[in-house]
Amino acid sequence: MVSGRLRFDSFHPTEFIDLTDRLREHVRRAGLVTGRIHLQSLHTTLGLAINENEPLLLRDFQSMLERIAPEDATYMHDDFSRRTEVALNEPVNGHAHCRQLLVSGFATLLVEEGDLVLGRWQSVFAVELDGPRHRQLALQLDGDFADLVELELSRLLRADPEPIATPMRRLVEAGGKRMRPRLVQLTAQLGPQYEPLRTALLAAAVEILHNATLVHDDYVDESPFRRGRPTVAAAEGAERAIAVGDYYFAKATRLIAETGNPDVTQTIAAALEAICESQIDDVALRGAFPGDHDSYLRVVRGKTAALFSAACASGAQLSNAGAEVVEALRRYGDLLGVAFQMADDMVDFSPSSGKPVGLDIRQRVLSLPLIYAAEDRQVGPEVRRLLSGSLGDEEVARVAELVTSSDALQRVGDEARALVEEAVSELERVELNGLRPTLISLARSAADRAS
Amino acid sequence: MTTAVLDRELQRLEGLWADGLSETYRSYLDAVAMHAPDVQPRVALAAALVEVGLRLQGLGGPAAPPAALLMGDLCLARSSRILTDSANKPVQIAFARAVEELSGAAASRVESRPVRELLVQALAAR
Repeated sequence: MVSGRLRFDSFHPTEFIDLTDRLREHVRRAGLVTGRIHLQSLHTTLGLAINENEPLLLRDFQSMLERIAPEDATYMHDDFSRRTEVALNEPVNGHAHCRQLLVSGFATLLVEEGDLVLGRWQSVFAVELDGPRHRQLALQLDGDFADLVELELSRLLRADPEPIATPMRRLVEAGGKRMRPRLVQLTAQLGPQYEPLRTALLAAAVEILHNATLVHDDYVDESPFRRGRPTVAAAEGAERAIAVGDYYFAKATRLIAETGNPDVTQTIAAALEAICESQIDDVALRGAFPGDHDSYLRVVRGKTAALFSAACASGAQLSNAGAEVVEALRRYGDLLGVAFQMADDMVDFSPSSGKPVGLDIRQRVLSLPLIYAAEDRQVGPEVRRLLSGSLGDEEVARVAELVTSSDALQRVGDEARALVEEAVSELERVELNGLRPTLISLARSAADRAS
Repeated sequence: MTTAVLDRELQRLEGLWADGLSETYRSYLDAVAMHAPDVQPRVALAAALVEVGLRLQGLGGPAAPPAALLMGDLCLARSSRILTDSANKPVQIAFARAVEELSGAAASRVESRPVRELLVQALAAR
């Protein structure tokens, strides 16, 4: 579902404003193929109507409204001596409110094959009844959307030499949550220069960059599997994995540079640098496994949150959103990224996740539940003793059991949810064109994956 | 290059500076005359970081151990960030294309042009 606002100005006391082309553009920009667009007037003297855009007919409508609710008739609403809480600039507009009863305040239009389903003579009007004013409609689009990012990913990976493209295609096609491209796509709708295709290209480049870092990570971590398939290093060898990671690191940075938006390139470049620095810290900390809370946060802020934050900021920057919005989204992404990683850590202890339990333990990956379990008064000593030795199946299973029996997972879950609420509060300070519910829902679902 | 710039751009890479990065950097200083004087040191460093980074990773040869790979990754990322701060779009794109060519050749096990030749060419991109 995509939410938004349609803003426009009226210039006359009564006016029929044809929004059909602008709504068609909204549908096209959102990539809605089949579904509905819901419109709702956010004013009590602005209606919606679907009818013919014929100038004389529009004058007939206006005359009809004037006959039924004449402006010079007496309306109790206009008797300010009898009303309470009357604003200083309260207009005399009882007639406009009454006229609004004759037209609807909302409408739902069907969408098929990427276009509004309208009869030959049908147009969609906002009916101004008390203009001139600045007006807005709330929009929600739901249904089946063209997945522009997947199309873009597929196109970009098709163009590369086979020895490079095949392993990356396997990795990308194996799935992944696509959180980062989703964030780019959402936040790009916040600026005045939103372009879906350009946004999809940036979103795909960010996803490719993320996957390029995973290719090198998997070699460093000696991971045999990623998304249920052999890692590039495991399947193709370390030399090929290094080349594939480098190639897509370079390709993604080139695609981002080609957007021609210096703010976007700087945001992503800074994130990439943070990721690489934290990878070095992550490996260095393995000597002190499982580490402590501060080290964990430092690594996770770079390793995971930096690209979340950059995805949020760069989408908004691409569409030229205001600096205040960009910074709020940057902070939102940072907090969401940390919460996401905490939830991801918890998945390692969830038998229903579809992943083998204890993979992070076996690979000695920095993990907050392990840190908390190691600090626990009851299970901590045994956890620390087990983690300091070699980790076979038996030891891994026992550590997982100890973590689950302690309150470590509860603490991590609480902390992740608190971070999400902090992220949500960042959104309260800026205008988000109706996207706030989507961003809130995305954040909450990211933190609740393990529960 | 001023000490302040050096300090900032070489954070966490100080060991590499003494271990060959400084010489590589100096060799690229001869190839940055077309850039504004104030950014010449930065773009030369960006080129040197790519060359040293790829060498650290063992691209085109035996894979580097994880620690060296990560240091190589940081060199490439640092270089990319320096270029976004200091170089125009054609140079940024040309650097990326150079790495694409080198890594594409490495994955395909074919000879590529020498890294320095590619990067000197990238520095002159317009």
